[in-house]
Amino acid sequence: MSPPHAAPAAAADPLEPVPVLVGRPGDKDLTEQLLRPVLGPTRKGWLMLITALGAGMGFWLLSLGTTLVVGIGAWGNNIPVAWAFDITNFVWWIGIGHAGTLISAILLLFQQKWRTSINRFSEAMTLFAVAMAGMYPIIHLGRPWLFWWLMPYPSTNQIWPNFKSALPWDVFAISTYATVSFLFWFMGLIPDLATLRDTAPTRTKRIIYGIFAFGWRGSARHWQHYRIGYLLMAGLGTPLVVSVHTIVSFDFAISQLPGWHTTIFPPYFVAGAIFSGFAMVVTLMIPARKILGLEGVVTMRHLDNMAKVILATGLMVTYGYTMEHFMAWYSGSGNEAFAFLNRWTGPYAPIWYMQLFCNVLAPQVFWFPSMRRNLVVLFVVSIFVNIGMWAERFVIIAVSLHRDFIPGSWGMYTPTWVDWGLLFGSMATFGVLFLLFLRFLPVIPIAEVKELRRELEHEDGHAAGAHGGAHP
Amino acid sequence: MRSYVVAEFASEEAILSAARALRGQGLSELDLHTPVPLHGADEALGLKRSVVPRIALVAGVLGAATGYFIQWYMVAFDFPINVGGRPPHSAPAFIPVTFELGVLFSALAIFFGLFVLWGMPRLHHPTFEVEGFRSATVDGLWLSAATEAGKAEALVGQLRTLGARSVEVVPEEAP
Repeated sequence: MSPPHAAPAAAADPLEPVPVLVGRPGDKDLTEQLLRPVLGPTRKGWLMLITALGAGMGFWLLSLGTTLVVGIGAWGNNIPVAWAFDITNFVWWIGIGHAGTLISAILLLFQQKWRTSINRFSEAMTLFAVAMAGMYPIIHLGRPWLFWWLMPYPSTNQIWPNFKSALPWDVFAISTYATVSFLFWFMGLIPDLATLRDTAPTRTKRIIYGIFAFGWRGSARHWQHYRIGYLLMAGLGTPLVVSVHTIVSFDFAISQLPGWHTTIFPPYFVAGAIFSGFAMVVTLMIPARKILGLEGVVTMRHLDNMAKVILATGLMVTYGYTMEHFMAWYSGSGNEAFAFLNRWTGPYAPIWYMQLFCNVLAPQVFWFPSMRRNLVVLFVVSIFVNIGMWAERFVIIAVSLHRDFIPGSWGMYTPTWVDWGLLFGSMATFGVLFLLFLRFLPVIPIAEVKELRRELEHEDGHAAGAHGGAHP
Repeated sequence: MRSYVVAEFASEEAILSAARALRGQGLSELDLHTPVPLHGADEALGLKRSVVPRIALVAGVLGAATGYFIQWYMVAFDFPINVGGRPPHSAPAFIPVTFELGVLFSALAIFFGLFVLWGMPRLHHPTFEVEGFRSATVDGLWLSAATEAGKAEALVGQLRTLGARSVEVVPEEAP
């Protein structure tokens, strides 16, 4: 195949000086480079990290076990704050999951070339985030071992879920989202699993990867169906990702509670989801690309673009905050106005100020190109956004609940160690799953990057041709 | 007994023109194997349009219909519940689940439909007997075709003239 050569390439467009792929490595080089983290020896750093996170996962399991044995009385939740860390964590994780589908589906349909190198990474992030998210609604049921009562099946109870409530909608939205994300991710993996089968050095690896490749042999007949199937999955994923957080926001928006009862929630939740999801991709990608040596495939261009998305969605979220306050005033409802005044001056005000700093102020540095290309700034701001978005969900959920209509029914919420264990433990568990993914599966979609290189070469050819024509 | 003839080509142009040349000969399972989808392969092999979009559409409509029907049956017909005076058959409230089930059915049908169309899982295929064929998922361009065992030699010669870099014959039943 074509030999690797340095690209004069993408410099043709002065507005986009940073390439999406450094050089034009050949297929064999790409395969080798991208499979090195999988086929190479296990690194000490990886082992240490997964051990540390494994300990955190133990804490998570302990908190889960306590919840199961003791019941949700082990949490700080109580009337009036019946939803607290559980649903905050749920909405936070599910929001993080949205970036994966956005990158892999929506950007695919918009033919954004820069999505190619980061789509598998963010889809995996989506899967693990959704897995973490899915735990919370189940354990907060109180009797989680009866979770299948959520499903409509003909039972001896002779009743059905109430489809006029947002909560059964949520069950369908989350389970559909988890299923479709998994299918989409796995479909993209099949050609790369076959590549792994065919390049793995040991028989055991060949057999294991071979089983999961299901016998893929790069056949043109298979590719034909694959391409159209993949595009259609993306087409389905696009409205799906918008619907999921919309439906999550319905859990709040269709209720009567001041601070929840607002029509701006669906778009504002979706923007917030993309905001936090991209922040999480940046948080994970900055160390991963460095450690796995992927700087040639995940370039500054990718990070720069993600920073722009964070800035844009951050502004949308800011608009959401502003509009909520405007409506609280414009509605003329004293309870609405109080709910928002309580954010600024109530007992949980520090969390609200932290939210404003992290979500409104911090991303503003991304107006400056030099900041978008500064790895330290990018990383720190992405962490801020992660924290800020968690704070946002806490403010919406717990702070709205703790002081509702009647002062006599007000209360306070204080998390217990089990609440903290379920929050930080879920992060560790997510980390464990992600490290396993980094070690055993190709992080960058190899076949797609090869295709991208062909497209770029094609463009290089055109650029060179046009250039030659202009200056004979 | 049939044999599989497997040939490697050096360039995309060569493999596509070879596929065009062989297409009219009534070979069964004439196929190309490449690490990425090859532009022009569908046309060179004379493949018909993929049925995947139709599968997706039918399953999606079926899923949405199922979603709406179960909701109507459960909360409007079999066990009507009066929630805040809303009518038992409350169409706007049925939209989310209808949509989600449409997407779910469609995605499942695409995924499993693809496996049926691919004839997968099929962990072993005669072409895998050729050691070099491994490169088909890395950087190699391979053509394969099934033919009567007696006609294999002729096909090998023809592939060589068409510019194949290497050609091998594998009996369908591996020894």
